[in-house]
Amino acid sequence: MLQFDQVSKSYPGGFVALDRISFRLEKGEMAFLTGHSGAGKSTLLKLISLIERPSAGRVLINDIELSRIKRSQIPYVRRDVGIIFQNHRLLMNHTVFDNVALPLVIEGFTGKEMVKRVHAALDKVGLLDKVRCLPATLSGGEQQRVGIARAVVNKPPLLLADEPTGNLDPDLSKDTMRVFEAFNQVGVSVLVATHDLGLVARMKYRTLTLKHGRMINDGLLQYQEPV
Amino acid sequence: MSILFTGRATGAAAKKISLLRRFIMFWLNHARQAVASLGELWRTPSASILTIAVLGVSLTLPATLHLLVKNMQQISSSFTQAAEISLYIREQTPANQVQSLVAILQADRDVAEVIFVSKQQAMTEFQQISGFGAALNYLESNPLPDLIRVLPKNTAPQAAETLLQRLSSERIVDFAKLDIDWLTRLNAIVSMLQQAVAIIALLLLSAVLLIVGNTIRLSIMNKKDEIEVMKLVGATDAFIQRPFLYTGVWFGIFGGLLAFLVVELMLWWLQGAISNVTALYKSDFSLMAMSFQEFIGLLLIAVLLGLAGSYLSVRRHISAIEPTGP
Repeated sequence: MLQFDQVSKSYPGGFVALDRISFRLEKGEMAFLTGHSGAGKSTLLKLISLIERPSAGRVLINDIELSRIKRSQIPYVRRDVGIIFQNHRLLMNHTVFDNVALPLVIEGFTGKEMVKRVHAALDKVGLLDKVRCLPATLSGGEQQRVGIARAVVNKPPLLLADEPTGNLDPDLSKDTMRVFEAFNQVGVSVLVATHDLGLVARMKYRTLTLKHGRMINDGLLQYQEPV
Repeated sequence: MSILFTGRATGAAAKKISLLRRFIMFWLNHARQAVASLGELWRTPSASILTIAVLGVSLTLPATLHLLVKNMQQISSSFTQAAEISLYIREQTPANQVQSLVAILQADRDVAEVIFVSKQQAMTEFQQISGFGAALNYLESNPLPDLIRVLPKNTAPQAAETLLQRLSSERIVDFAKLDIDWLTRLNAIVSMLQQAVAIIALLLLSAVLLIVGNTIRLSIMNKKDEIEVMKLVGATDAFIQRPFLYTGVWFGIFGGLLAFLVVELMLWWLQGAISNVTALYKSDFSLMAMSFQEFIGLLLIAVLLGLAGSYLSVRRHISAIEPTGP
């Protein structure tokens, strides 16, 4: 599904954000991406969503090399990858419904089919009753879940999340992770970037750990009770 | 169609819908986006009204100038009708020779009308009009010549000139006169005005283009975040720019309508004053308003300029906005 092959990314000025990263995420697999801030988590996600291009190496989705994707094709690639942002990135002057419907509108859905899908997505994150609200009237956790609903509304085969629990309390974080688990169970590949190591360890999923742009761990993370 | 996942049908293609239905949906979508853009304008009334007012004024001036030229042409063409050749007959020409010339002229194919004015008739007319009255009785003999007034069939200056050349070569004609200089001058002035109007119109219309372009640029900048989000969830540039193009079209429509209203108001205002003037000149001149074709043309030009202005802006600025990160 998703494959990194000796991928490096350096920025002008010589800063190396990613250094020869290689890993493979299978279809229907769920994994965490952890590391301190500045370790390269966001850069890695940017390479998948084609916001950035790698300096060296290859990124492949479904065995198609992303470097071969032309600029005009980028939007179509992004429709196959659901992205959840740390700061939600909702359209604040549009209703929850409009926000979640946006990817469908872009793909040309209209009418009943669109309403049905938006309601299904909002139902999964437990926000069906807030469909007519403006995002500003929702709590941080609810806004985050609207973002998740938007990412999954067009049923992408690959889901990326960047610090989805960054601003949430532990209970809400756990709920959010449950939502990801639920999507994973219906066959979606999920990659969650987070620095919440306790949560990651408790969930017992494969964990990729980055440090200064290098992959230092690939596998289960041992949970240590904080002192 | 999905690029990465063959077999993953996306979007409207996922539902198997007929071509006709898709065609209808296409137009329905466009109509919906057009209405949405209108709503967007409605939400920021003061800014929209200001822009539309500026556009209206910029379009009013060329429209007014166009009407000015049109009316000038009407006046000058009514003057052209009056082109008349005067043939002054040599003194001591026998009356029968004069009469035969009149008969020849009446049969001439280039001549519309012939009026003979004898020296006696001319004298009495002169006594009546000039106000010298009795003083003229002291003249020993009538110094006025016989006169034949000829109206040419073709009243264009060139044709009248040729006829003049031909008639002045008649043996009994002393000299022929066609007061054509002022006519050619008038024509020259009208064509000069036309060119000046064309240049001014061009400048004002490019102002419209720039105003729309700049307004759209500002609204793109205001929506930078929204555009980034749309790009992140897979919107193409074409999708993002469509509402802005519709906004440009709406600006054109409203600007054009405003210009039309202002011109009509101005004509209505001037009607009274102009009928006063024409009454004094005993002219049947009436001010020509904008025809329906001209109204449609004005709207069409306004819409095209709005569309072009927003297109120029959208081309430059929307592709320049790239999301910086999740």
